[in-house]
Amino acid sequence: MDLVWADYANLVLNGLAEGLLIALPALAVTLVFGVARFPNAATGDLVSVGGFGAFGAYKVSGGSFLMAAIGGLAAGAAAGLASWQLVFKPVARHGSVTLLLTSIGLGFLIRALLGLGFGNEHNMFELPMMRAWTMGAIAINRMDGIVALLALATMIGVFALLHATPAGRVLRAMADNVDLARVAGINTARASAWMWSLVGVVCGIAGVLVGLKTQVSPEVGAELLLAAFAAAVVGGLGNPLGAVAGAVVLGVAQELSTPFVGFTYKIALSYAVMLLVLLWRPQGLFNRVQGVR
Amino acid sequence: MEAYLLAVFITALVYVLLAVGLDFQYGFTGLINFGHVGFFAIGAYAAALCAVRLHWPPVVGFGLAIVLPALIAWPLGRVALRLHDEYLAIVTLGFSEIVRLVIISEKELTNGGQGVPGVPRLFTVFASNGWNDFLLAILLALTCALVVWLLRQITRSPYGRLIQAIRDDQTALLALGKNPARFKTQVLMVGSGIAGLAGAFYAHYVSFVTPDQFTPLVTFYVWMAIIMGGVGRLRGAVAGAFLLVAFLEGSRFIRDVVPGVSEVAMSNVRLAAVGLALILFMRFAPQGLLGRRR
Repeated sequence: MDLVWADYANLVLNGLAEGLLIALPALAVTLVFGVARFPNAATGDLVSVGGFGAFGAYKVSGGSFLMAAIGGLAAGAAAGLASWQLVFKPVARHGSVTLLLTSIGLGFLIRALLGLGFGNEHNMFELPMMRAWTMGAIAINRMDGIVALLALATMIGVFALLHATPAGRVLRAMADNVDLARVAGINTARASAWMWSLVGVVCGIAGVLVGLKTQVSPEVGAELLLAAFAAAVVGGLGNPLGAVAGAVVLGVAQELSTPFVGFTYKIALSYAVMLLVLLWRPQGLFNRVQGVR
Repeated sequence: MEAYLLAVFITALVYVLLAVGLDFQYGFTGLINFGHVGFFAIGAYAAALCAVRLHWPPVVGFGLAIVLPALIAWPLGRVALRLHDEYLAIVTLGFSEIVRLVIISEKELTNGGQGVPGVPRLFTVFASNGWNDFLLAILLALTCALVVWLLRQITRSPYGRLIQAIRDDQTALLALGKNPARFKTQVLMVGSGIAGLAGAFYAHYVSFVTPDQFTPLVTFYVWMAIIMGGVGRLRGAVAGAFLLVAFLEGSRFIRDVVPGVSEVAMSNVRLAAVGLALILFMRFAPQGLLGRRR
């Protein structure tokens, strides 16, 4: 197979778009892990909730994409906060295994309720036809470009929140050491509620973007879960910047591998990379070594 | 009616094997294996392909169905068991999905998404399938009893105390100069071999294996079974497997009582019930109905 440099450039661009989209749920996984110390298996299903929120608002408002964005964001935030208050908070002190299994149960419950409420069909946004942006031999699907830019903007917003606001400082303190944060007088219950709302918003936006790029269905978010887990682990669980970098690295690596290993083994490649990273740097690419708590 | 009860009984016994294997890993050793169905699938396909493609006797197929998953568990354990528990959960969950992906993609070997039909029955001495299934049920019940007895011997031996110490306090064990990763890998391999054995029985019973039968949902059915029955007790895992199958079969009858429920809606109801049960058990009865109080 002869591939010229432009083909590789296109693959890299596709990988970037894919990676930036996966980065949002990966960021949600790592934010929860940082504060609550478990990998949240319901993350993908929160993304689906965001997708349905957006699609519902889009239909009710008669086709407004702004309303769709607001609907997705609101549905995600509400689902995130509710999952903390109703499901995770009562078992928060029970250890990570309990939380992990609870999140599996919550994921099934959300997926089933979405299926019962809205049906298991695939819903599509009606998008205008758009020509790809082209620069010589390089072509960018315009919707991919818009989705990637919106994902990037969301991430910049989250990092600004984490690093430039008092609430963000509290969350980072809790991620570092929950008990120390509590002793220092931080209201960890309120901060947790904030964190889950933020995670919900991130997932909600991811749901809107996935809906724009592919479709809205009860399973669409769950299908992103493994990729998001892999990205968060590669970047180092609990490290937000690492999760984003991990997602982009895996996205590009997946796309660049397709000419050689084929389309079907993309996610397997992510997993192989993840296992290699775990062998080489068990703490992830971007985490420092730390003692076992 | 007898045929139906026999079918339910065989299904329950397959889940018993899966549940005691997982309970050995999680209940006794504390390993969070979210990829149990992957080893089940490898066992089922190993037995099925041996019989259908190579026409080897079932004994060889069963042997491969035990050995192959155990061997595949080895490198997985080496990578994941040096890390925190949560990593093993993520690695194994991904592993089972990749097993399914490989089965779907490698069409020359596995016939892809269409599955492998015509796996021969184990017993063909009688003309009727009912009697043959009856013999299979007896063999499976004896196998379950043997596996449970073996696991009971293991868990009551010094080795068993050691793996339970891994679950309870890994640091203390390290201080005693034991290497937890080595024992955890062995436990992972044993549990995976048992899952593979369950897969071989399943393949020869249903006589038709497809990748759709091996979704992560099955893994969490088995988790439901051990959590309902009781974590860290073999009789809890056995009881939990029967409870689970009673629940899964019972939910079929809802459609007879409430008319007009579609198959899709029914599978959603079942998924919701499993999800809700997991949440409620973890919150109110994490040790299950027969589990040890701590």
